[in-house]
Amino acid sequence: MDKFLEIHDLVKYYGSGESRVKVLQGITAGVEKGHICVVLGSSGCGKSTLLNIIGGIEKPDGGYVSIGGEKLADMSERKLTQYRRKHLGYVFQFYNLIPNLTVRENIEVGAYLGSNTLDVDELMKTLGLWEHRNKIPNQLSGGQQQRTAIGRAIVKNPDILLCDEPTGALDYKTSKELLKLLEELNQKYGNTIVIVTHNDAIKNMADQIIKLRDGMVRKDYRNEQKIAAADLEW
Amino acid sequence: MNKPKKVRNPLRKRLFRELLHDFGKYVVIFTFIFATIAMVAGFLVSDISLKTAYDESFEEYNVEDGHFTLLTPAEDGFFDGMERYYKVKVYENFYADREADDGDAVRVYRLRKDVNRTALWEGDYPSGMGEIAIDRLYAENNGYSVGDTMIIEGRRFRVSGLVALTDYSALFKNNTDMMFDAKQFTVALLSDIDFDVIQPGEMKYCYSWTNDDRALSADECKQKAEDIMDWLSGRAILTDFLRRADNQAIQFTGADMGGDKALITTLLYVVMAVMAFIFAVTTSNTIEQEAAVIGTLRASGYSRGELLRHYIALPIIVSMIAAVLGNLAGYTVLKKYFASLYLHSYSLTPYHTVWSAEAFWLTTVIPLVILVTVNLLVVSRKLRLSPLRFLRRDLSRRGRKRVMHLSHRLRFLSRFRLRVIFQNVPSYLTLFLGIFFANLLLLFGIMMAPLLDNFRETVMDSKIANYQYILKAPVSTSDADAEQYCLNELLDKPSKEEVMVYGISPDSGYFRNISEKSVPAGDEILISEGYSEKYGYLPGDEVTLKEKFSSKSYSFRVKEIVHYPASLAVFMNDDLFRRTFDKDDDDFTGYLTDRRLTDVKDAYIASVITEHDLVVIADQLDDSMGLVFPIIGGFATLLYMLMIYMLSKLILEKNAKSISMTKILGYSGRETGRLYISPTAWVVMISLVVTLPLAAIAMRYIYNYYMLQMKGWLTFFIAPATYARMLLIGVVSYFVVSAVQYLRIRRIPMEQALKNNE
Repeated sequence: MDKFLEIHDLVKYYGSGESRVKVLQGITAGVEKGHICVVLGSSGCGKSTLLNIIGGIEKPDGGYVSIGGEKLADMSERKLTQYRRKHLGYVFQFYNLIPNLTVRENIEVGAYLGSNTLDVDELMKTLGLWEHRNKIPNQLSGGQQQRTAIGRAIVKNPDILLCDEPTGALDYKTSKELLKLLEELNQKYGNTIVIVTHNDAIKNMADQIIKLRDGMVRKDYRNEQKIAAADLEW
Repeated sequence: MNKPKKVRNPLRKRLFRELLHDFGKYVVIFTFIFATIAMVAGFLVSDISLKTAYDESFEEYNVEDGHFTLLTPAEDGFFDGMERYYKVKVYENFYADREADDGDAVRVYRLRKDVNRTALWEGDYPSGMGEIAIDRLYAENNGYSVGDTMIIEGRRFRVSGLVALTDYSALFKNNTDMMFDAKQFTVALLSDIDFDVIQPGEMKYCYSWTNDDRALSADECKQKAEDIMDWLSGRAILTDFLRRADNQAIQFTGADMGGDKALITTLLYVVMAVMAFIFAVTTSNTIEQEAAVIGTLRASGYSRGELLRHYIALPIIVSMIAAVLGNLAGYTVLKKYFASLYLHSYSLTPYHTVWSAEAFWLTTVIPLVILVTVNLLVVSRKLRLSPLRFLRRDLSRRGRKRVMHLSHRLRFLSRFRLRVIFQNVPSYLTLFLGIFFANLLLLFGIMMAPLLDNFRETVMDSKIANYQYILKAPVSTSDADAEQYCLNELLDKPSKEEVMVYGISPDSGYFRNISEKSVPAGDEILISEGYSEKYGYLPGDEVTLKEKFSSKSYSFRVKEIVHYPASLAVFMNDDLFRRTFDKDDDDFTGYLTDRRLTDVKDAYIASVITEHDLVVIADQLDDSMGLVFPIIGGFATLLYMLMIYMLSKLILEKNAKSISMTKILGYSGRETGRLYISPTAWVVMISLVVTLPLAAIAMRYIYNYYMLQMKGWLTFFIAPATYARMLLIGVVSYFVVSAVQYLRIRRIPMEQALKNNE
């Protein structure tokens, strides 16, 4: 099967002169459409950089990323924005919600960008936010805020959902609920989901696992023993 | 999957909430923009309405293209040939100069029907014996109303009406006067019965002319006037000849109106630029606070343009509403106020409000363009960073900032405060700029009264003599102290401004009143300080003067500058004067004397220049602008407070989390205040002190430019006390605002540091 997301020989440097560091040292990988891919690695191994390059918010110094056959490197700044608008959803460790908009309105911030959006009410019910739809972010718990952030990312029904340490700021129980939600969304809407995390246990819910170390792919394999997010333990 | 309806941009919903959240800031800026635009719109609308009335009055009231005075009245048909040949029409416009019982000069005319027709403001025109219609402005200045009695040379007249004479919109008694005088000079109308009894010896045989073609160009008008003068000079004895273009009583008003417009719109644009920077700086601060959100939105596909529009929308909406309401207030309430200021200076015909596209353009379009441009530039520059930089909250444009090293010898608190200053450099630069403009305005508001006082004092201290008699013909006096002198009025050739040319005896006792040295014996001249300052003439320079009514010109070498502030003047020895102007050896114009001459008959006296005439320019400025100066001063003080309030508030907001944290650590509210408010105090104090001399320098240039538009010259002067007052106003403004900010610091909760601690 053709890879929907292709990463070819990605190289990325940070800094200059003597302090120049090669963060990505020629990463090559691919993810199939509709799969959940977990990128694992310890702090500083380059996983967030990889995610940012996939998301088109950072440029590689070598190699390329292609999504659905379109190479990101060939795109102008304007086209990249359009590309992100149409195809990508982003979830960060910190929720980055707009403080003076309600839950519904924060989700609508994502809906405004899409042409084939999900129904906001239905999505809020799926996310368990229906009761909180008229609250503003500082009236919500961390889990509720992160679910709102996911709602904002998923509502435009993106081809790929990029999650950068989505459970990083959450407790165990809330983290599990959130992972269940991502799994449910993947099954319901068929989006490709790339989750970057340092939590080893999360790999078990993935279709594909990529392990990074020092900017290189240490392992890239299909998870034959995939389990439901509800059964994850750590 | 349901196909949901298209969502409208939800960011719009933030705007109203943002407005409510920062209501104080928006109210203050709104008020400032509203007040400034209302003031300027009011001024411009009244200016344009009155200027339109003034411009239209030329045709509506058939205002002359010029006038001339003959020594004796012309016989019937005398002008027929001239009228036919030069295509002009000549009208009788005789007058007589009278004196009211309080010493005021009253120039009386016959009721006019054909030329320079008059406008009636109140009451009626005189219809019978003992009635007089006087100028409305003079009546206001002297408390005359319709029905009052005015005593002129022993005769009682009932004031039947208040009028405006269209050839005296500015009440210049003589065209050579530096400034008009609506307090001690009036024009008036008499009925035929009273006018006909004026003795021939007292009558001025003045004739006005109008060109048949009223649409001639300035050059054509000038040519026609020269032709008329040539025609007359061979046939009659001319005692006066004045084109409309040279007639201050007609032209001064129009020229003055335009000058004020440039000044006040510049004021508006300066205020709008300051407001635009305040908006831009506060928006930049919001962007910094919302960096992660912006990064997320950009990463999600929001374009830079969408975010740019979002962040500048509220400043633009607030400014637009302020501009529209400001215009409304200007057109309604303030128009009347500013019109009354003009009507308090000039004797204009009744006006109606003109809805002017120019005023709308100047008060609404250009200010909004300034605001949008500044905000677009600043905010778009801020948003130009990559989404990643926003996500990482790394908004420094120079990449990773180098931390400035501060010596550990400095006390901790000093280092802390310096860090606060470094962190807020753009805000403090805006504050500096704002204080500079506020100081400039404040200086303008409070310097003029001492400047005018200084002018009066120096004029009094350095006048040549108490009285300068100008005679119609050389007659002798028995007063041994009276000294003969020569006088001519020429034009400075490059600027066409009138210059008084004195021919004075090298032995003059009076000239010593203005200079320790006597007038030079040779062909060199002395010029007055004002003439030198206004047109930049220095010793050694050549000054070229020309005749008013011919192209003949004269050049002189400047020897020295003399301190004579009363007018633009040239002093030369009387011998050089007579040679230059081809006068007889014993010819003279009049007398310099410290006492009134009792043995010279009035019939021989053309005019007497007294102390009052020398300082009338200051009195008039005081009278017409006296109310405006305190308004500008008050406005500047408010601008001070606004600037300091807005920017210190911004600094506190930026540091709210740190302030909260210092409270958690155990700092008292007072100590926290010293950490975060003292840096602003330092910057305010330094800005106040540094901008004072800068404002004085800038003001000197602005003042010189302003004075160049006016006739005459008032020496630039800033009283030392003015600086002290400015400093005091600045410091008091700061303390008022900082008291509010201390309260604000006390209200920042400790939980702030623990919330959203990403």
